[in-house]
Amino acid sequence: MIQIENLHKRFGSVHAVDGVTFTASDGAVTGLLGPNGAGKTTTLRMLYTLMRPDEGRILVDGLDAVTDPQGARLRLGVLPDQSGLYPRLTAREHIRYFGELQGITGADLANRTEHLLKMLDMTTIADRRVAGFSHGERTKTALARAIVHNPKNVLLDEPTNGLDVMSTRAVREIIRRLKGEGHTVLFSSHVMQEVSALCDTIIVIARGKIVAAGSPDDLRQQTGQANLEDAFVALSGLDADISTDARRAKAETGAAS
Amino acid sequence: MRASQLTQAMVVFRKELTDWSRDRRSIMTVLISSLLAPAIIGFMFTNLASRQRQVEDITVPVIGAANAPALVEWLKQQPGIAIVAGPSDPEEAVRTRREDVVVVIPEDFARKFAASKPAQVRLISDGSSQNNRPKVQRVRTLFQRYSSEIGSLRLIGRGISPVVASPLQIEDIEVSSAQQRAAMILGFIPLFVMIAAFTGAMSIATDSTAGERERGSLEALLVNPAPRGALAGGKWLAGTATAMLSVLVTGGLLFALFQYIPLQDLGIKFVLGPAQLVGTLAVVLPLCPLIAAIQMYVATFAKSFKEAQSYLSFLMMAQIVPGMMATMNTMPSKAWMYYVPWLGQQTLLTDVLGNKPIHPVVFVVVALTNLLLAAIVIRATAGLLVREKIIFGR
Repeated sequence: MIQIENLHKRFGSVHAVDGVTFTASDGAVTGLLGPNGAGKTTTLRMLYTLMRPDEGRILVDGLDAVTDPQGARLRLGVLPDQSGLYPRLTAREHIRYFGELQGITGADLANRTEHLLKMLDMTTIADRRVAGFSHGERTKTALARAIVHNPKNVLLDEPTNGLDVMSTRAVREIIRRLKGEGHTVLFSSHVMQEVSALCDTIIVIARGKIVAAGSPDDLRQQTGQANLEDAFVALSGLDADISTDARRAKAETGAAS
Repeated sequence: MRASQLTQAMVVFRKELTDWSRDRRSIMTVLISSLLAPAIIGFMFTNLASRQRQVEDITVPVIGAANAPALVEWLKQQPGIAIVAGPSDPEEAVRTRREDVVVVIPEDFARKFAASKPAQVRLISDGSSQNNRPKVQRVRTLFQRYSSEIGSLRLIGRGISPVVASPLQIEDIEVSSAQQRAAMILGFIPLFVMIAAFTGAMSIATDSTAGERERGSLEALLVNPAPRGALAGGKWLAGTATAMLSVLVTGGLLFALFQYIPLQDLGIKFVLGPAQLVGTLAVVLPLCPLIAAIQMYVATFAKSFKEAQSYLSFLMMAQIVPGMMATMNTMPSKAWMYYVPWLGQQTLLTDVLGNKPIHPVVFVVVALTNLLLAAIVIRATAGLLVREKIIFGR
C-alpha cells in the first residue's frame, strides 16, 4: 500500500507538484492520469525515493520513504521514466543482475528469471543481447528486471508509451496479473483508454494538483460527460489554456533535467 | 550489513567486467595503449642501432697507402673497414664535406717505423661537424690500437712485459648522441607504464558513470535497494581491475622487449630484468585504485561519454605534466615527492629502473596513501549518486 500526503516539489519558480494526496491500495490498480508535464513523473520519482519532496509524507507499506529510502526501495518494484538497458548484456543477464542486487541468488533466482521470461513471452529472446531489441522487447526486459524480486508495490511510469498493440496487451496482462496476486500497482499514463481499461482508481493530475479522483464511473458522473476522454479534457482544463500548459510542461522538464 | 554490501559490490563488479569484456572498443583501447610504449621504444632503439651500424661500416680514404703497406693491410682486415685511395686535395675535400675524414701517410713513414721512432699518420677532419664525429673517433681508435699492438710487440721483443707500459686501463663511458638519446627513451618508461594505468581504467570509468546517464539506465539502477557505496564500490573495483590488467600487459611486453634489445652494444648499462619488473608493478599497481576512483568521480559529472572523455583527457594532461618534468630531470627528486600521487610513482619508478636501493616501507606508505585517497574519492562519488542534478540531469 502506498499513501501520499500533501506532497510538494518546486523547481525554481515552478511548483511542479503542489499538494498531492492519494492512496494506492493493495490488490488494486491505481492510474495517475494527466497531460505531459502535469507532475506525474515528479510524483513517482519522489515516491521511488530518487527525488526528495520539499514537503509532505510518503508511506510505503507504512514505512516512511523520505526518512528510510533504503527500506522503501526494498518494498518497491519500479519501471522508471528512463529505463535504459545495457546493450551488451542479454535479457536474462539484465534480470539476473537486478535480482542479485536485490539479494536473490542461486536456484531461487534462476526459477524467478525463468518464470518472468515465460510470463512475458521472452523465452526466445532471453539469451540475445538487447542491442538489437525492438521497443517492446526492451520494455519487457526493463519490466522483468523491475519485478524480479516480486515486490509488494509496483510503480510503472508510462509503461506502454510507444509500444505496439501486442506489447501493450502483454503489459496490460502483467498489470492485471499483479493485481490478481494482491500487489499494489500504481502507473502513470497520458492515454485515456489505457487508464480506463485497467484502473480501479483514477487520479487525474494537472499543473501539479489533483483535479479529480475516483473510479472511471465516478469521473464520468462528476463531469457529466459520458465519454471518459471528454471528462479528462474537462477535468484537466486542457481546453481552457493548452498553450500555458505546454509552456509549463517545458519549464518542468527543463528544471527536472 | 557490511558483508551484504560487499556481495552487492561484487555483483556490480562482475557485471561491469562482463559488459567491458564484450566491448571490442574498450579491449582495443587497452591493447593498443599497452602496445604503444613497447612499440615506440622498440622503434627508437632499432633506429639507434641502425645508426650505430652505419658507423660500423665505414670507408676510409687513404693517401700514401704505398708508404705503409703493412698498416694498410691491417686496416683492411678490421671488420667494417674499407680502404680507398684518397682525394688529391684532402683538406679541401674535408672542408667541403665531400669526405668526413682523410688519412695521410707521409713518405718517411717506413723509415721512421723501421727505426722504431714515432711514425706520423695524419687524420684530416672537421671538428665543427657533429655528424662525422663517431666516424673520426673510430678511425682514431683504430690507429691507437695499431700503435699499442706494435708497441707491445716491440716491448716483448726487448724482453719486457707490455703490461708495464699500460699504467692505466681506461673504460669508456660514452655520453654522446646515441647513448644520450637511449637514456632519454628509457626515462620515458615510467611515464608509459603510468599512462597504461590511466587508459586501462578509462572505459569502465566513463561507461559506468556518464554512460549510465547517457543510456538512461542510472535511474533504474539506483532504484535498487543496494547502497550507493556498494554500487560505486563495485564499479570502482572493475575500473581498478582493467587498469591493473593494462599495466600488467604493458609491463610484460616491455619486459619481453628488453630481452631482445642489445643495450650493451649501445654502451648502456640498463637492465629490465625480473627484479625491475616486480619493482615497477609494486609501484604502479597500487596507483590503479586511485586513478580509477578519480576518473569515476570526474566522469560522474559528465552527461555523456564524449563529455566524460574530454574531461578525462584534461585530467590525463594534468597528470602527465609533472611526470614529463621529472623525466626531463628539471626537478631533483626530494623526499616529499614520493608521497604525492603520480609524482611519487614517477620518482619511485625512476629509482627502481635506475637500481637505486629503496626501503620497502616507502613502497608500503606510498601504496597505502593511494588506497586511502581512493577510498575518500569513492565515498565522494557515492555521495554524488544521491544528488537529483546528477541522477536526472541530462
